[in-house]
Amino acid sequence: MSRVVFFIAMRQLWDRKLLNGIAVCGVSLGVLTLIAINGIMQGFQHKFIDNILRISPHVTLFDRQLRPAPPLLARAYDGFVVTDVAHQSPSERNLRISRPEEIVRALEDMSEVVAASKLLVGSAVISRGSQQFPVEVRGIEPTRQDRVTPIASYLQVGNYHTLEASPDAVVIGSGIASRIGAHLGEVIVCGSSLGTRLNLKVVGIYESGIPPVDNHRVYVTLRNAQALLGRPDAVGRIEVKLREPDNAQVMSSKFEHMFAYDGESWQETNANFLALFVQQNAIIGFVVGAILAVGGFGVLAIQIMIVLQKTRDIAILRSVGFRRSDILGCFLLQGAIISLAGAAVGDIAGHYVIQMLGKLKSRTEGLVKSEYFLVYEDPRYYYYGFAFALSVGLLASLIPAVRGSRVEPVDVLRGQLG
Amino acid sequence: MSVPVARDADTHRLLPWPPAGAIVLETRGLVRDLGTTVKSRILDGIDLTIREGEFVSLTGFSGSGKSTLLYLLGALDRPTAGEVRIDGVDIGSLDDDGRAALRGAKLGFVFQFHFLLPEFTVLENVMLPILRRGARTRSDAEAHAREVVESLGLGELMQRRPSQLSGGQQQRVSIARAVANDPRIILADEPTGNLDSMNGMIVMDVFERLARVQGITVVMVSHERSFAQRTSRQLVMRDGQVVEDLDQR
Ligand SMILES: Nc1ncnc2c1ncn2[C@@H]1O[C@H](COP(=O)(O)OP(=O)(O)OP(=O)(O)O)[C@@H](O)[C@H]1O
Ligand SMILES: [Mg+2]
Repeated sequence: MSRVVFFIAMRQLWDRKLLNGIAVCGVSLGVLTLIAINGIMQGFQHKFIDNILRISPHVTLFDRQLRPAPPLLARAYDGFVVTDVAHQSPSERNLRISRPEEIVRALEDMSEVVAASKLLVGSAVISRGSQQFPVEVRGIEPTRQDRVTPIASYLQVGNYHTLEASPDAVVIGSGIASRIGAHLGEVIVCGSSLGTRLNLKVVGIYESGIPPVDNHRVYVTLRNAQALLGRPDAVGRIEVKLREPDNAQVMSSKFEHMFAYDGESWQETNANFLALFVQQNAIIGFVVGAILAVGGFGVLAIQIMIVLQKTRDIAILRSVGFRRSDILGCFLLQGAIISLAGAAVGDIAGHYVIQMLGKLKSRTEGLVKSEYFLVYEDPRYYYYGFAFALSVGLLASLIPAVRGSRVEPVDVLRGQLG
Repeated sequence: MSVPVARDADTHRLLPWPPAGAIVLETRGLVRDLGTTVKSRILDGIDLTIREGEFVSLTGFSGSGKSTLLYLLGALDRPTAGEVRIDGVDIGSLDDDGRAALRGAKLGFVFQFHFLLPEFTVLENVMLPILRRGARTRSDAEAHAREVVESLGLGELMQRRPSQLSGGQQQRVSIARAVANDPRIILADEPTGNLDSMNGMIVMDVFERLARVQGITVVMVSHERSFAQRTSRQLVMRDGQVVEDLDQR
């Protein structure tokens, strides 16, 4: 495109400041909405995923065996052997992970793995005086577990490592503590459905910021959990922390393949929420797309008007040597400049809106806990703003530009001169 | 404007026209039909040969086909039959871009209503065709445009917008734009139609000087007898045909 076309486009834009300013506003509103809404949605989603990634393991291996090791008979003889007996299906047996320590060691030797830890999880009721409260009991190896899911750092009061040292300690969530009114150092009773009861001393109260966890989960030693749940020596799951949380899906299937136990990535564990987010994002995308399209229609309407007003000028330009493609380029360029200006204004305004929202005090409780309005500033969205605005603007000015390029000077001259 | 170029500076007598040069414009059997439902023959077989430095006036009743012929000569329209040659090139053989390039390089147009671009200053209006044709630099284009504008006595109006000019001034600016690329031919459709006689005279002087001094061929549609008689050749049209061809040297 020659420079003179750029010169003409700029001058024509500048000469219709008001109209083109309105078109710019339309585009920038779309971009602003794109950035602000995404900032808000992602603020929540990121906080949620962030919390999940802090408090949840990246991959969990469960005690469901995928393919039972072939029976000895099958290995010893060639030919037909009865290898599957219906009433021996694993689900009817008391499930456990066999040789868990070997698996943990093998996992920890892998370069992709940061840490792994054995657990036994079950449900119980804790009581203090007349207060009773159902909880999820997690029997852990405290030091190892802290490397997989850092609990120690979320302790509000107490000392996490006492859990390892003392035989009858428990760490409880802040929600539980406030519900049953338990304080540090108090003894609470923990009972299972089997009737086993343990007296445990509260050595720490944690708050992860995820209410469902803080309200329901207590940590005890693996040995205490085994005793409470009546499953001596049993390990129900192995939790793994990865170097790259995003690889959890791949690593989970790799572990399944290696150890033949059912693996679950954090994405699978939270599939409900993640699916919800996908849906939310789709709705937001639709709304933002619609607003950008409205901005595009603004550009379209204004450009059509300008092209209609400019047929005479187009005829002149064509008669002094300008080509159809010059006229086309001139109007497309105007559309592009309008949308780039709109994107720039929208990006800047979006940035300030996000900054302002982030300083807004607003208590959130539910899935995540926060004192401030949750926003997340993703720099990619500023580029998206430009990309979307540019494509919408170009698309919108295509019709007027083509229309302008089709003007036949002789038609205009005949109309004017007879 | 001082003494018209057509007169001797001392005696003020009309000077003879210089001899015409090479052929620049030629039509052979030019036919143009117009109308969407009912076709009517607007131009009916026009054969013309116009040479370098000729100042041709085109007269005839309203509706006789003068403008239609001019658009064909200017590569703005395509003939129904026949051909138009500019400097030996059949414009029917050119595509749309080719004709645009030809207009930019060899033709200059002046219309009754001085079609200037309102967003641009006088100087910029004259610069646009130069820039489009491809000046080496913007300052080259500007220098050339300045020269042209000054030669038409518009030096003081260069930075004005068209809306700040009188009709006669606007018409001179459109002539400046028409000659900006040193064209071979200027095609003018009633350039004086909208002007008072004083401004009409000025425009005529400019055309005459362009033809006499610079050897530019001028074809001008005019309704005014006195102006038509000042040209070197007068063509009279009737019902789509050239019925008279008067050599007025
Ligand atoms: N688009 C068109 N469709 C049909 N007929 C047309 C069209 N444009 C012009 N004409 C007819 O063509 C004839 C010639 O028109 P043209 O404009 O060339 O005349 P002219 O000699 O320039 O007249 P004027 O002196 O009034 O400008 C007229 O009869 C006009 O009605
Ligand atoms: Mg006419």
